[in-house]
Amino acid sequence: MARVLSLILVLLLSISALSLISSSQFEGFDSDEASFSYEEEDLEAPLDPLPSASLPTISLSSPLEATPDPEHHPNPSTPTEKPHPNPTTTTPSHLQTDFWDEDEFEGIPSTPETIVIQESTDRESETKSIPESSPDPKPATPIKPSSYWVEIVCVSFLICFIINYFTGRKENETTALAWAAKFATKDSIFEKNFSLLGTGDGNDTPLLLKEGQDVFKFYASGRRYCQGMLATMYMHSRHDLIARVFGWVFPKKDIITFEVIMNDDAMDHVVLAVARKKEVKAMQKDEKDLQKYASPNAVAGPAGKRWVSDELAVISESKEVAWDLFNEAVLDQVFGDKAFEKVGKWFVSLHFSDQQPGLNKKVLLFKFVLPDIKHMADITKLVALVPYYIDIIGRYKLSSNARAKTEAARSKVAQEEFKEMQSARQEALQRRKSERRKQSEEAEAKLSAEALRKREEKERARQLKKSMPRVKMMR
Amino acid sequence: MKEEASATNDPRMPSAAKPYVSPTISPQDLPVDYAGFLAVIFGVFGVIFHYKLCSWLAIIFCAQSLSNMRNFEAEFKQISMAFMFGLMGLITIYFGPARQVKSNR
Repeated sequence: MARVLSLILVLLLSISALSLISSSQFEGFDSDEASFSYEEEDLEAPLDPLPSASLPTISLSSPLEATPDPEHHPNPSTPTEKPHPNPTTTTPSHLQTDFWDEDEFEGIPSTPETIVIQESTDRESETKSIPESSPDPKPATPIKPSSYWVEIVCVSFLICFIINYFTGRKENETTALAWAAKFATKDSIFEKNFSLLGTGDGNDTPLLLKEGQDVFKFYASGRRYCQGMLATMYMHSRHDLIARVFGWVFPKKDIITFEVIMNDDAMDHVVLAVARKKEVKAMQKDEKDLQKYASPNAVAGPAGKRWVSDELAVISESKEVAWDLFNEAVLDQVFGDKAFEKVGKWFVSLHFSDQQPGLNKKVLLFKFVLPDIKHMADITKLVALVPYYIDIIGRYKLSSNARAKTEAARSKVAQEEFKEMQSARQEALQRRKSERRKQSEEAEAKLSAEALRKREEKERARQLKKSMPRVKMMR
Repeated sequence: MKEEASATNDPRMPSAAKPYVSPTISPQDLPVDYAGFLAVIFGVFGVIFHYKLCSWLAIIFCAQSLSNMRNFEAEFKQISMAFMFGLMGLITIYFGPARQVKSNR
């Protein structure tokens, strides 16, 4: 990941460097065209017309009143009304002496009246052509809010993101706490089944472990047949506004998984999975233990007896195990046709295996949908399956016939794995040998002619020694 | 189905209780932080090409990456780098020297 990032950065920097080199904006290499700086917002505002340049005129100490211009006031309302004085005569303009320093220069007259400006005839003709009153410059157009649309959108999105972060986090926390209050507090199902609840050692430790804003864990231990149970709640990322919007398009449910690690002596050869028909196929593709041990076809129910709901499919290593684990009590409460209508929307899958890949081989996995706070009681029967199946599988023993089949399957898989390991080792050895050969060949190619002669001589000497008859020393 | 805790048939075994040990996850096994990656990309584009939209997107994806952060040590470097790029882009766009444009006058 880091390598890819660094490569992208280097490429981008090189592109930018090339673009800079190609441009002619370096000092001393300016193009003839005039360049001016601008802000992005200034482009949208219309450019003001340039004010007409008026020549500096000398104003007298007592300004004369100019005659009214007939063009400006063609019809004066009253004859007595005085017209506006000419701005060129009334307002004193900036003189050339305004910026002179009196201390610095000598011989410069102190009063502006005595200055005589000699103007050529060309300059006089120019003054006639320039209008006397320049139009008032327009005020700078205010920057429209539409020019800041990127900033407005992004800042408002960030504000919404921050607000949603806190509200979404609170939603997830309340859902997780509602589950804990229902199933992990005093006189609840897990309190009656496990001696240690929560992730800590002491009594006053928190029940839930918050791994992220959308992942909560509950741990329980101290029960017969099992080492411990870890319940993990995978919530929808409500705290993340982008994920929440994505969730509206592609809806996602909150999931709770129960992972029970069984004792080594407690669980017999059991590989079994129950889920909806589509999900069972996906599980068979993904899970290695189901690929190797479970039969590809779904287990049919025993003749003349009830079986799981039509929505569900059961895959198992042996039919006997499936029939024994899905007894009448379980079918009545959860997996039967009538019971599953009520509980079905919260059920995802069961997966029991004594050949689970990973550190712990013997594992029971329960996967359910986590309901909202109002419907938390609806999954009581599903949660009750966890301690029930711990006891059922802890006590369960296969028949001799079924055990023989399962052991044969396991030994076959073990042999296959051993063969794969051996072939992998052999391949690795062959690779090493070929690499060594290549290295020796390269070294020989590099050697000089003299070195080759010496080597040949040594080899001849060895061969001669080998061909010489062995002499035994007899006493 | 529910197993009631009683004196004779209590499933609880305090002697078998094992405290929870959180599994150590190596940085390689962590899920890919797409938001952080996008934040870095947009941040770099914003700085180099002076696109203010890219810099703003970098800041937004930084916020997303920060909100989804689980392993602080592993992910903080990438997020901080992305945030620096995004912020640097915004500073250069709004407070930096204005770009030069040629005009025919």
